[in-house]
Amino acid sequence: DQNGEEIKKFKRFESYKRDNQFPPKVRDMGIVIDPKNATIVLPVMGRPVPFHINTIKNASKSDEGEWSFLRINFLSPGQGVGRKDDQPFEDASAHFVRSLTFRSTDGDRYAEIANQLSNLKRDAVKKEQEKKDMED
Amino acid sequence: MAAPIENFDNIYLDLSKENGKCRFAENGLGWKPAGGGDAFTLDQSNIGGAQWSRAAKGYEVKILQRNSGITQLDGFQQEDYERLSKIFKNWYSTNLENKEHSLRGWNWGKAEFGKAELSFNVQNRPSFEIPYSEISNTNLAGRNEIAVEFAVGDAAKANGHNGARGSKGKKATAGKDQLVEMRFYIPGTTTRKEAEGGDA
Repeated sequence: DQNGEEIKKFKRFESYKRDNQFPPKVRDMGIVIDPKNATIVLPVMGRPVPFHINTIKNASKSDEGEWSFLRINFLSPGQGVGRKDDQPFEDASAHFVRSLTFRSTDGDRYAEIANQLSNLKRDAVKKEQEKKDMED
Repeated sequence: MAAPIENFDNIYLDLSKENGKCRFAENGLGWKPAGGGDAFTLDQSNIGGAQWSRAAKGYEVKILQRNSGITQLDGFQQEDYERLSKIFKNWYSTNLENKEHSLRGWNWGKAEFGKAELSFNVQNRPSFEIPYSEISNTNLAGRNEIAVEFAVGDAAKANGHNGARGSKGKKATAGKDQLVEMRFYIPGTTTRKEAEGGDA
């Protein structure tokens, strides 16, 4: 493009192919991180819902009285940090889940989940970069 | 001669903490917590539709009530499908629709508004659904951003509930991780150029 940067292309990804691939822990209706499949499974109204690490922007934990909150932000159009939004999307005209916020009285667990998630994200980005370097 | 009855054990009603026994008869269905307590019953005349999906404990029968309520029964085994399908067909004249959910892990799709719930569909398969009864508030949180807040009272601090409950839900608070808010990005009719032009 005009700044001489390379245009990022969207690459497809998939968490699971069959529902028997869910980690057994989804039974407890809590948040489950599944590093093997680069996925976080979030409980929404009793259903385990997978979100691939490539959809995750970041996660943050906050506290309010006895409650701890975990907010998971997803990548969606119109959130470019700079003036230019160079994040590629398969379909930028689709609807996007932009964030999910959970609460619990177990703040240590949320700190741990936020930490694991950022490690998973970092590893995924690193892997992607290594792949790209190999291709060049 | 006694009326025919079909029983299923270890079933969870509307994300209940405790499991119970679910029984189906010609005139409707009932659920009773295993440890005793109030029973829940649903008359067959109120059964407007039924879906079969993978859920947390096992497989789920979701009943769409004629009065727009939604009943979720989780904990069935995959092989229960045939038996349940017959029960719904023969006794309630209802097709137990096999509703496969998206497992792709995508956060983009289409939010569609049904009679009793919002369904977020990824490639024409639901990824998750939100019964309207769980929503306490919605607001426009920013340009093209909608925030949906869920009904979480402080009463929910026990992280879960026991026994049968009223149909007005607290499903968001049933698990150890309580869903309090969800935000959607919904592209509007504003073009990118217009949106960026506003900052100039």
